[in-house]
Amino acid sequence: MNKTLLKYSALIITALATLSCESVKPYQRTYLNDYEMKPGQPGARSFEESVMVYREGASGGGSSKASGGCGCN
Amino acid sequence: MISLLAASLTSMGQRLDSAYKKEVLSKTDVQVLLSYYTQDNNHSAVTGGTGTENLQVYSSQVYMDHQADSFNTYHIDGGVDIISSASTDNIDFVVSSASKVDARWHGNVGYSRLLRDKQNRVGGNLAYSIESDYTARGGGLSWSKVSDDQSREISAGVQMYFDDLRWGRFEGGKHIKLIYPSELRTQEWFDTYKRNSYNFSFGVFQTINRRMALGIYPGLVYQAGALGTPFHRVYFLDGTKRVESLPESRLKIPIGVQLNSFIGSNWIIRSYYRFYWDDFGITAHTFSIESPVKVTRVLTFTPFMRFYTQTQADFFKPYKLHDISEQFYTSDYDLSRFTSYKAGISVRYAWYRKSSREMEWRYNYYKRSDGLHAHMITAFFNFSSQKKKK
Repeated sequence: MNKTLLKYSALIITALATLSCESVKPYQRTYLNDYEMKPGQPGARSFEESVMVYREGASGGGSSKASGGCGCN
Repeated sequence: MISLLAASLTSMGQRLDSAYKKEVLSKTDVQVLLSYYTQDNNHSAVTGGTGTENLQVYSSQVYMDHQADSFNTYHIDGGVDIISSASTDNIDFVVSSASKVDARWHGNVGYSRLLRDKQNRVGGNLAYSIESDYTARGGGLSWSKVSDDQSREISAGVQMYFDDLRWGRFEGGKHIKLIYPSELRTQEWFDTYKRNSYNFSFGVFQTINRRMALGIYPGLVYQAGALGTPFHRVYFLDGTKRVESLPESRLKIPIGVQLNSFIGSNWIIRSYYRFYWDDFGITAHTFSIESPVKVTRVLTFTPFMRFYTQTQADFFKPYKLHDISEQFYTSDYDLSRFTSYKAGISVRYAWYRKSSREMEWRYNYYKRSDGLHAHMITAFFNFSSQKKKK
């Protein structure tokens, strides 16, 4: 597990390092403030994603449903 | 001279008119969700990895968020799922037959407060849910902080659930106890009926530029207690039959990465990847992509796809392939090795008339490589209103 985790962590860190952030003024946030740009799972997406917890072994990582509280995995 | 006097009077008037007066607004969001889900396959864990998995779920939920002022937000939600399961009917002909059509009730209340610095927010919630085969109490704490320039938000939270897997609350006069398959009630297979789950979640959401934002969501989950399901059968090579047996603890580590990009003036790409590992032996990868297209100012079409793959849990084997000497065993195909995909489309209509309103319809088709397939239709409504506080 450790090797796999390290491999994917390295991949994510490399991807992040290649992205440089630029300063965005409040009046330049038109696109960022759009509903479809919201982080996480806005609206009905959240509910739809929570159903996957019942059918698959994995959960969490920014998807809406946590483990427990549902009699599921 | 006259023009100077006029200018002076005008500027005085402007000063008076433009005097800044701060208004406090209260805001209320009400959201309603209705959903229908249906699935079928022939790998039910209730009958040891063989038998019908036919299932229908009708869900209805209502959420309300009330932002009383600039600092205090209250949340309440509740709902009911009506579940018609052909496989639970195979537990026996008495208890589960009554629950062939079952109901899951759930509710949640929460409060969050923006602190004086207007950057830190703290919150908490309490949750409760009940169904024939379990009761759950839960609670959590959360914290988030937005940077000075609004370009970064970091968050952390813990959510705990305390589940009780005993049946009987919906059957008047019956004892509240664990229910095993009818032919396996000669002994107590589980020594606990409790399942505790501790979910730790973290998040960083970073603005990359005017059109792109990145989110990283690591997590840590620890579960302890009865992690198996008492009415799941397992059939062994030698013909023996037992109740599913799983370890009494489980550690899960997920990490999700989300990248949202606005392309052109009406096209967005939402992409998401998750790596998952747990000590049951499951390693999983999830990749999803959504592509909202703004057809008009109020109408958005979103096609989406999701791919998922997992390795099997160390304790999984299909029907009649387990050896009697094994300590832990299950034939639950949710813990098997498989790949799955989901594809669908959503239509969202959002407009403003005195207040903000939104409707969204979603449909998706889900297919798993072991044969399970499902359809899901969801309707979502959101009404938002603002009032000036006196």
